[in-house]
Amino acid sequence: MRAGRSDASRVVITGLGIVSSIGIGIPDFVDSLRSGRSGAKPITSFDTTGYDYSIGCEITGFEPGQWIKNVPTEELGRTSQFSIAAARMAIEDAGLSTDDLRSLSCQISIGTTDGESKDLDHLTETQVLSGWEALDPVICSRIYANLLSVAIAREFGLSHAETTTIATACSAGNYSIGNGFDAIRVGDTDIALCGGADAVCRKTFTAFYRLGTIAPDCCRPFDRDRQGILTGEGAGVLVLESLESALTRGATIHAEVLGYGLTCDAYHPVAPEAASVARCMDIALRDANVKPHEVDLISAHGTGTKANDVTEVRAIREVFGDTVPRTISLKSMLGHTMGAASALSAIGCSLAITHGFIPPTINHRETDPECTIDCVPNTSVEADLRIVQNNGLAFGGNNAVVILGRYDEEHA
Amino acid sequence: MKTMTTAAPVITGWSAISPFGLDGHAFATGIREGRRTYAPVDHAVWPVPDEFACLVPGFNVTELLGNKGTRTMNRTTGLAVATAGQVLGPGKPTARAAEGTAFTLGTTTGSAQSMMDFTRQSLVGERPYLVEPALVPYGVMNVAAARCAIWHGLKGPNTTIATGRPAGISALSYARRLLATGRAERALAGAVEEYSVARSWLHHHSRNGNGGPLGEGAAIFVIEPASSATRRPLATLLATEFRTCVDGDFGTVIRMAIRAALARGGVSADEVFLASPSGAPGPAGLAERAALAEAANETAISRVPDLVELIADAGAASAAFQIAAVLSLAAVLPAAGKPALITSVDPDGAVACALLRLAEDPGPAGNPGE
Repeated sequence: MRAGRSDASRVVITGLGIVSSIGIGIPDFVDSLRSGRSGAKPITSFDTTGYDYSIGCEITGFEPGQWIKNVPTEELGRTSQFSIAAARMAIEDAGLSTDDLRSLSCQISIGTTDGESKDLDHLTETQVLSGWEALDPVICSRIYANLLSVAIAREFGLSHAETTTIATACSAGNYSIGNGFDAIRVGDTDIALCGGADAVCRKTFTAFYRLGTIAPDCCRPFDRDRQGILTGEGAGVLVLESLESALTRGATIHAEVLGYGLTCDAYHPVAPEAASVARCMDIALRDANVKPHEVDLISAHGTGTKANDVTEVRAIREVFGDTVPRTISLKSMLGHTMGAASALSAIGCSLAITHGFIPPTINHRETDPECTIDCVPNTSVEADLRIVQNNGLAFGGNNAVVILGRYDEEHA
Repeated sequence: MKTMTTAAPVITGWSAISPFGLDGHAFATGIREGRRTYAPVDHAVWPVPDEFACLVPGFNVTELLGNKGTRTMNRTTGLAVATAGQVLGPGKPTARAAEGTAFTLGTTTGSAQSMMDFTRQSLVGERPYLVEPALVPYGVMNVAAARCAIWHGLKGPNTTIATGRPAGISALSYARRLLATGRAERALAGAVEEYSVARSWLHHHSRNGNGGPLGEGAAIFVIEPASSATRRPLATLLATEFRTCVDGDFGTVIRMAIRAALARGGVSADEVFLASPSGAPGPAGLAERAALAEAANETAISRVPDLVELIADAGAASAAFQIAAVLSLAAVLPAAGKPALITSVDPDGAVACALLRLAEDPGPAGNPGE
């Protein structure tokens, strides 16, 4: 399948960094995915008075100082703090020293929906109460979205790095992985740090709430009684490099990025369109040189809203016909972590491949007859996975699908 | 696996909505005349700390785009949709062109105004969720690019890149990679920034008032593989280079980026005919100017007007405007076949450099909006 690509143009994942409501770092995250843990709890990061319900998947016990050694933390919003923390874990997991990073060409791309909107919400509150003159200059200075990626370069002293924040909303994590993949393949960079980050904020909770797409209790993707999303937060960062580079360094290879696809619905500001989502999967599979029947698992966008799940399953059926691989939603556990969602999901896919199991879709009672797929309800299963597809959809019809493959040394 | 090509792509069209006026011709004329667009801010309309600003004259979303679908459209989105329309010209694309056209748009942080307006509704309303649902998409940073896709029927890769002032170069570089990997047959790439009360105050506070006056607008380019260009090339995109200032020493990283771009493009410093620094506020801008003078040459810099002097700090649109300025000047100067160098610096740390080779025969007037 991978014949025809030289080691220099094959791209592998050698580092993973995770900040999530169900675990920080690989061991905790794997444990939670395997046991089907939920990150849901009452939202505390903004005043939820007046909403009829306000459950979310926030991260508790995140200590910035544990991960951020160089940039003063007051210069960083919560999203940038997550971004640096996940990057530090990914870099350490990849066995890269700061000197290594400085001696290789390096590209940093972080996807996001909201950037530092939590800070912007706070500034809005100040403005409402006390006027524009009263805004805190320290907070004003950290709201710009480019800081999500620039902050990583600052923390690790990577002045030679290209820093890009990709702001294509809820599929931005997959966009970033695609950007890193292409940058390595065309020779623009040796190492790509890519992923996504977001923090729970009033703006986005309210937006989904107003659209009637926030679940009152928990997220039940593909369930007959699903009521919507829970907003979540976190960051996922992956280290990508060419297979040649990984082999030269003697790095541990988690998985291979086989290809990806991007499409735009050009249809509706917030509702997805099945034909365009199907076209995106088709493009990704062709890019990866993979036939649909070779896919062992789909990690769906699977938000748990009425519209998303039925549209996404319809699109999957368009591509896979009657033999749809098992299709799960990590959002049942993590909530919708926005720009981090498809990055954390890609990391989940990579870990599922190396640890030989399929994470469950939790909170599941009865599968919607309009979503007839095996969503691996409630309990993880052991599985030998070779090829996994990771779907990302977004407001504005920004679709991005990434295909990962197991890296087998003996077949390399 | 798709076919990979490393040949440099070409810019074959562009347009801009800017403080000079509502289309690319107005931009090109303003640049060639070196016209300053600073005007006193009407504080009844804009309750901002700025005394002067460079706004797009007579900009009105519904006047430019009609009433349909524009009731709640914000300024950023209106600027982008209208500019993209000028680049594309009339008529819907064919199915193949729709799927084969990528759209890449640079921003600083979307519309801070729309985001803050949305949250304000939640804070001051009778119930925190009684917000205007039609405003939901405008509170998300990808809305301008996504609305451009809907408006103009563009179904290829649609990407929003938030890199601040260098965003126009980031967008071109991203588009170059999409073409090189066969993910698109052509791309529209550019950047947009709106003037708003929120942007003005955030800028005022975050730069302690030293940031200088603000401008706004959008510039969008058509970029295609040289081998399959459907329009007359205006310039070849020889190289883009990026660095990040992590320690306040902007000069060193800008010099690194310029040297790398010249090396990649096979161009020597004294060949550079047009050079444009971004004029970033504060020490970053001074370091940029010095680095460009050292790495390129003063004569090349003197041929391009200082855009901040003419249209103020256009934020994410600034580097895109610099490129449009270079193309505008190339059509009226003996620039055929010569290199042009554009640098851009964001005070937050992103540094970019684009190296173009101007076409031997760019046609009349550099074809803005053609």
